[in-house]
Amino acid sequence: MNTITIALPSKGRIKEEAATIFERAGLAISAVGNDRSYRGRIEGIEGVEIAYLSASEIARELANGAVDFGVTGEDLVREGMPEVDQKVEFCARLGFGGADVVVAVPEIWLDVETMADLGDVAADFRARHGRRLAIATKYWRLTQQFFSRQHGIQLYRIVESLGATEGAPAAGQADIIVDITSTGSTLRANHLKVLADGVILKSEACLVRARKTVHDGDPRIAKIVKAVRTAL
Amino acid sequence: MPLSDMPEFSDDLLKEFETRRTERVNTPVIQPAEPFLDIAGEDLRRRIFLTESETGASLCLRPEFTIPVCLRHIETATGTPRRYSYLGEVFRQRREGAHEFYQAGIEDLGDKDIASADARAIGDATGVLKALLPGRKLALTLGDQAVFEAVVQALGLPLGWQKRLIHAFGDMEHLEALLERLARPQPVAGLDPEIAGLIASGKEAELVARIDRTMQETGYSTNASRSPAEIARRLKEKLELAETRLDGSALLLLREFLTLQLPLDEAPAALAGFADAAGLKLGAALALFDARLAALANAGADIGGMTYRAAFGRPLDYYTGLVFEITEAGSSAVLAGGGRFDRLLTLLGASDHVPAVGFSLWLDRIEAGRADQ
Repeated sequence: MNTITIALPSKGRIKEEAATIFERAGLAISAVGNDRSYRGRIEGIEGVEIAYLSASEIARELANGAVDFGVTGEDLVREGMPEVDQKVEFCARLGFGGADVVVAVPEIWLDVETMADLGDVAADFRARHGRRLAIATKYWRLTQQFFSRQHGIQLYRIVESLGATEGAPAAGQADIIVDITSTGSTLRANHLKVLADGVILKSEACLVRARKTVHDGDPRIAKIVKAVRTAL
Repeated sequence: MPLSDMPEFSDDLLKEFETRRTERVNTPVIQPAEPFLDIAGEDLRRRIFLTESETGASLCLRPEFTIPVCLRHIETATGTPRRYSYLGEVFRQRREGAHEFYQAGIEDLGDKDIASADARAIGDATGVLKALLPGRKLALTLGDQAVFEAVVQALGLPLGWQKRLIHAFGDMEHLEALLERLARPQPVAGLDPEIAGLIASGKEAELVARIDRTMQETGYSTNASRSPAEIARRLKEKLELAETRLDGSALLLLREFLTLQLPLDEAPAALAGFADAAGLKLGAALALFDARLAALANAGADIGGMTYRAAFGRPLDYYTGLVFEITEAGSSAVLAGGGRFDRLLTLLGASDHVPAVGFSLWLDRIEAGRADQ
């Protein structure tokens, strides 16, 4: 029998929340070796292993099909691979780790409240400033999909930002940002506002399954999904 | 002798380019990525092969030839008019087909006789395809951004609305959304009443000062890209544009125009008839359209066999007039695509305005077509 691997977050609140749900689901995890091991096993179902990985690694391993299930943020999964819904299945939304991926602009841009406003500004930007509108973000894929496909905005540049993205406009690294926010307080502290139709994704932690043909007809797959769903 | 893995018809193709009095140029395969992303937009990023130099400069494998050829032209400063041709490999991430394939084409830079240069580009593209695919029935579709711009202008819409519509030309979904907004204007919501008051009473200087003050207080002014004056001006414009409603008949006209699709030789009469019936003056744009057609007819092109589609355009800001595509009749695979890009060279840094028109040939599809023969 092939092994089913479930990747769970290796640290932080998301780790504890995931553990709580698995416990409630009757999927008790026993550590392999010692307590600080990054491997575990589900008791009571044969051949189901736990791998503790960082949240972004889990998204990557799901994309590669290297694990069967993962618990991680929807934002990371959607950002991490093209044609995501063909590659993975979002089996359950777990009700924690909630945060929105949003388009935020300087508060003082009184004339920009919607994506259509931003489209006007972007279209004119090069003529006025000699360069394209710059967006600081770590979400390249989500930004492109939202701007190009949903709003017909093509003319902008992405500036990669791996941290403290909210500070990029004031620091002059970019004009606007696409970032994740849960309460909006960091955005407000940096005098940024979310556009009225600027929520790209309402993300939360999810149980995600990599779509694999070996899963077809494997009763353990349905059992795990059902157990987690009933625990919510 | 070209590389051995070049398409087997390369020699024929290069001879065609030579008899058409072009100068063959080559460009490095590894290109700075900046100009491509800057000109064609971020969407290109996932379709090109990007890498980084040791010093962190962003580089890519040549995804097309037009930009490198134009950059080379600007750098060598050899003056215009010039007719360049190219044949070489391009690299793109595609869902279907190989990631590296050959492209060839002609870029005609600096000819000020727009109509005849347009006609020559169409003639060259058709001529080369006929030579490479003898006996095949080709279908050409032609569009003209300048005609759409003239229609929008003649409808008397405010400049801001004209810009929005022109910017969306070629992207039907986006254009439809704009027309919807024009039919049902939405008032601007959520504006601070104090700000609204300043605008309503025409106190623009006060508004600018207020924005400036806030910028200072929030530590945003040092690096602000958009100035207080720019924000105030656009806010005012936005409020005006939000009140613009295109009445039902004008909207119908615009929609009717966008559905026009007919044999090219019937297009002048249809466009003139449309302008008359609508009471629109499309003067210069139609004159150029007709002159291009006359030049095509003079060159012996079968314009009755070509199709004019009014909504055909490319939603990139450097295309300015003619666009065309050639397929085999009944197929959707584009064998040659081209158009006029009068704004590209200045966007790339040329100091003078350089009118430009060109096309590229998809050699892998042409090769497949020859194999079917």
